[in-house]
This record gives sequence, structure tokens and C-alpha cells, in this order.
Amino acid sequence: MKHYLGYYLSNMRIAILGQIQYRAQNYFYMVGTILEPTVYLVVWSTIANSQGGSVGGYTTGALAAYYIVWTLVRQMNVVFTPYGWEGRIQRGQLSGELLRPVHPIHSDISYFAGWKFVQIFLWLPLGAVLALIFKPVLHPTWFQVVAFFFAIWGAFLVRTMLYASLGMISFWTTRVGAIFELVFALELILGGRLVPMTLMPDWVQHVAAVFPFQWTFYFPINTLVGNPGVSEILSGLGMQVLWIAIGIVFVNIIWHFGIRRFSSVGN
Amino acid sequence: MPEPVINVKDISKHYKVPVREAGLKAAARSLFKRTYNIVKAVDQISFTIEPGEVVGFLGPNGAGKTTTLKMLSGLLFPTAGAPDVLGFQPSRRQPDFLRQITLVMGNRSQMAWDLPALDSFELQRAIYGVPRPDFEKTRDEFIELLEVKELVKKPVRNLSLGERMKMEIIGALLHRPKVLFLDEPTIGLDVTMQRRIRQFIAEYNQKYGATVLLTSHYMADVEALCKRVIVIHNGKLLFDGDLSVMKDRFSAFKTIGVTLANGFSMFSQYGEVLNQEAGHVTLRIPREKTPEVTARILAEQQVDDLTVEDPPIEDIIEKVFNLKSAEGDVK
Amino acid sequence: MRTIKLAWNYLRIGIANELQYRVNFFIQLLQSFIALATGLISLWLVFSHTTQLGGWNQPELLAVMGVFIMMGGVIQSAIQPNMQRLMDEIQDGTLDYALTKPVDGQVLISIREFRFWQTTDIVVGMVVLVVAVLQMQMSIGIWQALAFAVALLLGGVMIYAFWLMLTTTAFWLIRIWELVNLFQGLYAAGRWPVTIYPAWLRLGLTFLVPVAFAVTVPAQALTNRLTPVTLVEAFGLAVLLLALSRFIWRLGVHGYSGASA
Repeated sequence: MKHYLGYYLSNMRIAILGQIQYRAQNYFYMVGTILEPTVYLVVWSTIANSQGGSVGGYTTGALAAYYIVWTLVRQMNVVFTPYGWEGRIQRGQLSGELLRPVHPIHSDISYFAGWKFVQIFLWLPLGAVLALIFKPVLHPTWFQVVAFFFAIWGAFLVRTMLYASLGMISFWTTRVGAIFELVFALELILGGRLVPMTLMPDWVQHVAAVFPFQWTFYFPINTLVGNPGVSEILSGLGMQVLWIAIGIVFVNIIWHFGIRRFSSVGN
Repeated sequence: MPEPVINVKDISKHYKVPVREAGLKAAARSLFKRTYNIVKAVDQISFTIEPGEVVGFLGPNGAGKTTTLKMLSGLLFPTAGAPDVLGFQPSRRQPDFLRQITLVMGNRSQMAWDLPALDSFELQRAIYGVPRPDFEKTRDEFIELLEVKELVKKPVRNLSLGERMKMEIIGALLHRPKVLFLDEPTIGLDVTMQRRIRQFIAEYNQKYGATVLLTSHYMADVEALCKRVIVIHNGKLLFDGDLSVMKDRFSAFKTIGVTLANGFSMFSQYGEVLNQEAGHVTLRIPREKTPEVTARILAEQQVDDLTVEDPPIEDIIEKVFNLKSAEGDVK
Repeated sequence: MRTIKLAWNYLRIGIANELQYRVNFFIQLLQSFIALATGLISLWLVFSHTTQLGGWNQPELLAVMGVFIMMGGVIQSAIQPNMQRLMDEIQDGTLDYALTKPVDGQVLISIREFRFWQTTDIVVGMVVLVVAVLQMQMSIGIWQALAFAVALLLGGVMIYAFWLMLTTTAFWLIRIWELVNLFQGLYAAGRWPVTIYPAWLRLGLTFLVPVAFAVTVPAQALTNRLTPVTLVEAFGLAVLLLALSRFIWRLGVHGYSGASA
């Protein structure tokens, strides 16, 4: 256990040192990711304004809060993409990883975790600017703030497991692009990425409950900007833990069979 | 007397390289303050090359060979000096200049990966504007010379490294350039393939009178192709002349290989023993002693076979560097 | 001109190459439909809460989406692959080959790649456009259609110039995947008519990243919103961006030749 902790800390340090050098690129990436919710925010604020100031229970201030916190949550849930896994597997880059005594997913998690610190640091001024422009309205309790901290790391882990499992499909087929895009589309609609889940019709919200997506976007965002009760927050965190556990199981199973195939096919 | 095809006087290439230390504190500091070093990749080099020459650029990694080549092909602007190639200033990249040169970089392909080489050849033709009959004649001639008639129809990604290199070379020469810049062209290839490629370049040079500048690590390349070598080290020109002159001047030793009929003797009395196995000894002796020592061995031993050779070129190069370094201007 | 012949050669070879991989066509079609479905869901969601957005009604917004998808197809098939290749080649040093050819460097790197299967988006976009126009129940005059075509062409030129400038920064910034991400984010903003955005964003989407001219303006042509002034502005901006991109390209190549090994 201590061995893993040491590895994590060391890899996180490397991530921080490395990413600090690429601050221009990190900023560009970040500005790119901020554009997406800005578009959503403007569209829905326009609708709200044309309807007397609110739509579906969200005032323009609440919408602003949702989408600005969205940008922070987005930084936290950026993980190694399934396309990255496809690349690794197709290009035989795994061979090096396989020789290490540590499962590659630990390398991904620890590296990205370290990177998060740089991202958050770089995000702060951007978040401040966004707040100045769009004037968010939010009144979180202390409990909400603390829970938010846990929820964003939960979102990171849920999404890591989800996309690692997805990416490892590449062990068996090269035609994975369409599958990835389908999952991304589902995440967009069912995860609270496009709009807060409560703006969706009821039946969509019921469908979304079956999938892990809303625990990566909607849940953490709402924890901070909405008015969830204590029990709602706690059960939400529990759901995150559940999905992480499911994800771990999937990752292990897929990896086990995938590696067998990878080694037999050779690369 | 024909005009030199390449005329270079005192060209230099300097770079500013940022300096960064390890650790979190230094990384944070580098956010605010950057320090630089000046690296002299090429430092006041001069030479001229006549049409039809095949010149080898030798030197260790990072010596400045590739940088020099890039300045002559117009890819890099010299920090000082103005090279003249075929009467043009390379960095101006005039189409008339570019049509007469070609660049081949070992390890870096310009063939389309998913397509047969024939398609890439077509593209080359379109780019260089080679008239179709000339193009087809040249192309078919090269395909036959390199014996790749069937291979040109296969997607390049399905070819072996050596076969791919053959395609690269053909593609690079389809427009019958007058000057060839070859940067490590045989790197990574097996011995047979290296020989084949060298042969092809030599034939091209013979037939079309093209000038060839070649950089390589493989002494075999240089020995096989180049009569003249230019040795570069730390950006400076250390030697420019005939390969044989370099070997003569700087090789103070000869290597003697003796195959014994029987028996095993103490050979260290004759010279430095490099290698000794059952029935065969390799010795290194000072050059001037060669007649004397060989005579002694033949008289005193039961010899089946005896050979006298120059030491490997790598040793000679080392000698060149060590000697010149001693002359004092290298860091 | 020889350049046109060269471009035709690349096109021909690009298509021949892609036709080998027929499976890619179906995958591409699938992806186009997923993107279309997502767009339609977005639109439907908006219209479940309101009847108009910034003065645009549903069929008009559908038209905007049609142009958005079409332009996206043009970018994915002809512009993005070339820029991606330029980026890659700057990184592994194979750009040297393009720079030692007797063809203008900028022209060469702009015409080399063509992804034929990505043209499905152009078709999908056109279908959506036709549906939208039918729903709008107005007739499109010849001048309108012409203005639309011209606006589309100018928009495409502007996107090319902008993308080129973006990619040219790879000469200085080395790793620019994130810039690509930035562009894609900005382009995604073009899915809605830029008139709904706050002034500062609209300005950015017009002059910094010509998304407005690529998508909104052609859609305006089709929905009777276009003024001749805007079309003239489009022309002016296209010329300006083209000149600017040329200048920055030459700056980039000059720097590449001066500062690399």
C-alpha cells in the first residue's frame, strides 16, 4: 500500500512539473473547454430572459452559477480519453507499460491527479473572470462546499473508470470511433453536460438514473450550486462510490481478457 | 575549369537554447525568468565542391553535419555566411533551385503510408513538373535497377524498412536532381540493403554526373561511396580531403591477422595483441614496423595465412579528433 | 495552372485511397447521425421551453444547424486533415520535405489531404437545410441563393485562413493539440446564430474566429436577414484574413529555418 502511495506522489509530482511548462497549451485547452458551457449558458439565458427571467426554475443567475461551476467540474473530470487507449493499444505502446510492476491505470490516475492541481490553479483566474461577466448566484452551505470537494474527485474517478473500460474495447476491434462518439453523446444528454438534468423531461431523468453520466457532471455541480439536502448529497456520493466500484470491476475484467488477446496477437 | 557547384565560406549556425534545472522551485522560477545558452552548431566552416563529387560528412552525433546539410538545402538560414549552391542562395528557396536538388533523410519518410509507391511517384512527378515520357523512362529505369517491380504496387506500410528506403530513393531521384543531400540514408538497414542503396547512388552519380553530399555514421557508406571526406566535430571543420589521405595521415598503426598452422606462441613480443583464439591472432603494430614484424613472424612461426590491414575507420576518426583537440580549440 | 493540376492529383489519390476502406463510410455515416441526433435533441429541448431564440424561430434555427453541419463537413474533409498533417510534420521534422519542393509551401501543405468519407456531413447538412427551407415555407429567389453560395464560399475561405494561422503557431508552441481544441470549441458556438451572444463574444466570433461569417451569415442569406453591407464586409474580411495567414505562414517558416536544428 505504501509502495503505491509513494508511486502516486512521485507521478503526481512529475505531472505538476511537466504541465507547468506547458501552461500556454493548458490555457488554450481550458479556454476551449470553457467555450462549450458559455454557449449553453448564453442560449439558456436568452430563453430565460425572453420568458421573464427564468426557465424551468433556473434564473439567469442560477444558470450562470451552474455553467461556471461546470467549467471547474470539467477540469476535474478530464481523463485519459478512450481514443488515447485506442492509440496505445493499436500502436503497441502498451508493451513498455506491461513490464512495470504497477497497473497502467495507476499511472493514468496519478498523472492526471497531479495535473488537476495545475489545472485548478490555472482555472482560478478564468473562473473569476467568468464570474465577473456572468454574475452567478449561488448560496452553498458549508456542508455543500465540503461535499463538493469530494464529489469532484469522485467525478474524476467515475469518468476515469468509464473511459478506461470504453477505451479498452480497442483490444478487440479497430472500429471504435463510432462507439466512443455514441457514449460521448449519451454523456452530453444524460449527464447534465448539455443542460441541468431538471430542465430535461421527466422520462429522460429516469433513464439517466441508470447510467453513470450524471455523477460526473450534474451531481457535483448541483452539490455546489443547487439546494440539495444532506441525505441527497450523501446518497449521491454513495452512488459515485458505487459506480467507481463497478468501474474497477469492469476495468479489471476487460484488462485481464484484453491483455491475453494483446499478448497473443502481438504488436 | 568548371564552376564549383557548392561554395561555402565561413558559414555558422548558432542557437539560443533555454536552460532549465530540475525540481519544483526551479520550475516555478522559470515562470518568471529564462536563461539561455548559445550553442554553436556550426562554427565558421568553409569548403567548395565540384560537380560530380561524392563527399562524405563524418562526425559524431551533434557535430553539425545535418545542420550544414540543411543550410545548403535551404532549410536553415545561416547565422553568418552565404552559401552558394548551383549559383543560387539556398535560403531564398527559388523553384528553379529546388527543382535541381533533392533531400533524403534516413528514418523520415515522404512516401504516402497507405498507398503503393507508384502513387507517391506520380505525386512527385506532379510536384516537380517532370514531363511524362521522361518521368516514365526514369522511373522504370530505377525500378529495374533496384529490382522492385512488384513491390512498387504494394502499400508502403506493408514493405520492410529496406524496401521502403528503396522507394524513398527512387521517389527522391525521379526529377533527376543535380545535387543530392543524403542525411543518414542507410540508417537502420541491414548490410545487404545498405550495399544495394550505396550501389544505386554510385550508379546515379556515374550516369548523371550528380553531386552527392552524404552524412553518415557508417564508415562503410563513406568508404564505399566517397573519395573525399569532410570531418566535422563540435561545429568545426577538422579535415577536408581524400579519404585515403586521412587514413594515411592519421593511422599510425596497421592490423596484422595471423592464422597459425599449429602451436600457440607468445605473440606479445611482436606487438599489441588485440585478439587471440585457437589458431588465429590479431595484432596491432606501428606502421613503420610492418615489414620488419611481418618478416619476423613469417620466419619464426608456422603461418598458414597472414593479412595486413588498415585499422577500422572509427579508430582513425578518433585519432583525428584527439589530435585536433590537442591543437587546442575544442571545449 | 500547375497548382490546380497538383491539387487535382492529390484529390484523386486521396479519394482512391479512401474508397479502399468502405467500412469507414458506414462508420462515418453513423457518426454523422449521432452528431445530427444530438443537434436535433438540443434544438427540440430549446423549443420545449420557448418558441423563438433571439428572434429566430424553429425552422430558421434548423437552417442554421444545416449550414453548421455542411461547413463542418468541409472543414473535416478538406481543411482539418491538412492542418493536422502540418502540425504532425512540424513535430517530427518531415516538414523539411515539403519545404524543399519547388511548389509554394503554403499551397502544398493546404492541398495534400482530402478525407472523402467526411463529405457525408456535407450531404447531411444539405438535407437538413432543405428540410428547414421547406418548413420555412418561403421561396428562395435566385439572388438569395447566390448570396448564400457566395457567403458560404467566403466563410470557407475565412475558416481556412484562420485554421492556418492557428496551426502555424505550432512553429513556436510545439504542442498545439489544445489550440485545436480551442478552435473546435469556438466552432461549436457557431451552431447557434451569433446574434444571440453578448457583444464581446459576438465580436470574437466574427473577427477573431470567423465562425459568424462561416455559419450565421449564409444562414442569414437564406432567411432574408442578410444585408449587402454584411456581404461586402465578408468579402473584406476574407481578403484580410487570407493576407494575414500568408504573412504569418511566412513568418513561421522563416522562424523554423532560423531556429531549429
